Amino acid sequence: MDSGDEINIYSDNEVNDYYGEDANNTDCNYESLIKEEDFVDSDSDSPVAKRPRLEGPPDQNYTVLKQSDIRERQENTIAEVATVLSVSKAVATVLLRHYNWSAVKVHEAWFSDEDRVRKNLGLLPIIEFPLDSTEVKCGICFDLFPTRDEIVSAACGHPYCVECFRGYIRTSINDGPGCLMLRCPDMSCCAVVDRDMVNSLVSEEEKHKYLTYLYRSYVEENKKIKWCPAPGCDHAIEFDDDQGWDVTCACEFSFCWNCVEDAHRPVDCETVANWMAKNDDESETKTWILAQTKPCPKCAKPIEKNEGCMHMTCHSPCRYQFCWICLGDWHNHINCNGYKEDKRKEVEEAKRHVQKYNHYYERWAAHNLSRLKAVSDLGRVQTEQIEQLSDIHGKTQIELGFIAEAWQQIVECRRVLKWTYAYGYYLPEAEDAKKQLFEFLQGEAEAGLERLHGYAEKEVRQFLNADERSVNFEGFELKLKSLTGVTKKYFEKLVSALENGLSEVQEAGKSNMEERWRCDRCTYANSWENVTCEICHMHQ
Amino acid sequence: MQASRARLFKEYKEVQREKTADPDIQLACDDSNIFKWTALIKGPSETPYEGGVFQLAFAVPEQYPLQPPQVRFLTKIFHPNVHFKTGEICLDILKNAWSPAWTLQSVCRAIIALMAHPEPDSPLNCDSGNLLRSGDIRGFQSMAKMYTRLAAMPKKG
Repeated sequence: MDSGDEINIYSDNEVNDYYGEDANNTDCNYESLIKEEDFVDSDSDSPVAKRPRLEGPPDQNYTVLKQSDIRERQENTIAEVATVLSVSKAVATVLLRHYNWSAVKVHEAWFSDEDRVRKNLGLLPIIEFPLDSTEVKCGICFDLFPTRDEIVSAACGHPYCVECFRGYIRTSINDGPGCLMLRCPDMSCCAVVDRDMVNSLVSEEEKHKYLTYLYRSYVEENKKIKWCPAPGCDHAIEFDDDQGWDVTCACEFSFCWNCVEDAHRPVDCETVANWMAKNDDESETKTWILAQTKPCPKCAKPIEKNEGCMHMTCHSPCRYQFCWICLGDWHNHINCNGYKEDKRKEVEEAKRHVQKYNHYYERWAAHNLSRLKAVSDLGRVQTEQIEQLSDIHGKTQIELGFIAEAWQQIVECRRVLKWTYAYGYYLPEAEDAKKQLFEFLQGEAEAGLERLHGYAEKEVRQFLNADERSVNFEGFELKLKSLTGVTKKYFEKLVSALENGLSEVQEAGKSNMEERWRCDRCTYANSWENVTCEICHMHQ
Repeated sequence: MQASRARLFKEYKEVQREKTADPDIQLACDDSNIFKWTALIKGPSETPYEGGVFQLAFAVPEQYPLQPPQVRFLTKIFHPNVHFKTGEICLDILKNAWSPAWTLQSVCRAIIALMAHPEPDSPLNCDSGNLLRSGDIRGFQSMAKMYTRLAAMPKKG
């Protein structure tokens, strides 16, 4: 083990390239489109499909795009550019692809210097290839053709026979999205092979493949649109301005548009990237080794001490003998009881670091698991429980929507709570007041959530197993609704406090609890200025 | 007849007809297999390869000319873009920049051009690339010259 490992504790924030993650959808099937639309529409009408958003702006700053939307936009943009520049749609497509599907940029470039754009992109004026002989030689198979009937060319006029050119396009399409920028095969020629030419030569299957690449390029090269990263989802999300990155796709998957990780409000992308990288790499194991073992001073193998005396002998072939405490050569060793600060400290520090990380990681992972369980429970509630309860207690499914809402709240809160542990880990230790406030808010929120989760999970059972309508059901409804509301408020507090960087602390200066009173009903800590509780409106 | 075979046959005839057109390149097809070719190319003048004769081996795929041929040096050569052990060549036209308009003859010409103008920033032979990148032109040239003499020139005596 070399000494370089020690540094690892502090240098493990390599940020993974989350942007590079490829979108999951590969296929776009025209037929499946219609079904998709029907599905989404009917879904958004049902009352339980609405997602609780924690204090988000009421008007969304993003748009979920279905396949049909993307296609429509793409076609419209192409048509617009084609009309404005009076060029064919195929040429407009080449231009738009080059300028990341921004019509504005195409217009700018085109009207400032059309010739240069044409030259750069290989949009040449059509040239008839000079007929110097009666026979034309194909530039690929080198066969001679007596007439031009079997010859095709791009705008440059370099002649190729239909068969060879078809093969050329086909090879390129099968090679990948590079076919979208295909050029004339001639080595020194840059004339573009456009969509019209491709369409006129290849089979339906290859045309479809080409169009799929074109369709995908609209999202992948557009700076404002990204695919939803959920497996199997083929929607895309267009983002309008950079306030609050969290978006929720029509497939119900929430993610951060900026870094394409799971939604992680109130924690910022950098912290998440650091945290995920930390969870991924092995540096923590290394830190453990560092804390529990010492390297042999001669051969550097890590050694764990398991016997009482300080006289250590390294494994063969090294067989070096040394003192466990000072790592000095045993043969010259007399004593090492004099105080030398740094060594001891290093080991203590490393140990402490691992413990701290374990503390936060354990809780982060537990809430993550709990959230996943809650997601599946929510599904079961929506499909089974509500129907069952509706039969037994004579309520409509809409009236029972509060149960699903409670579960949605649980899912969302677990998500927030999970990320607060990453936040806590990176909270500077020196800022004690902030840490206290953070832990107080987090503790309150967590306790509230546990109450809600426990109640939603356990209390409902008696009503599910009942044979007939129970009088207690009204009570259950009231309590669950109020717990949902209270928990929601706790989390709104927590989220906004963390997003403000716990700035209240600077203003308050000293301990927060002395300036607050605890509500007897919901235990929320209110400021003395409030006469009634902020959460449940109970009088002081 | 297969398209690749037909095209190779045309190239073969062209090579036969214009044997003396380019004195730096001697292309020859394997007697029994038209998909296997070898070439002898002369090291370009004013380079450390001058005076050497280098042998190339071509393996032509079925999809030729839509897919590029595989080419490697059979003669040992010290060059940043040629693998020192396998003779593999790193050249864009043999990979993604291939176009069916290239011929075996023009590939040879491109390889001669590569010998005269190495690309030390995408090296297959790192030692050679590093010499050039660190500006040790003299060191690079003497190594390249030594290997030319050892491997690409007839043994004296």
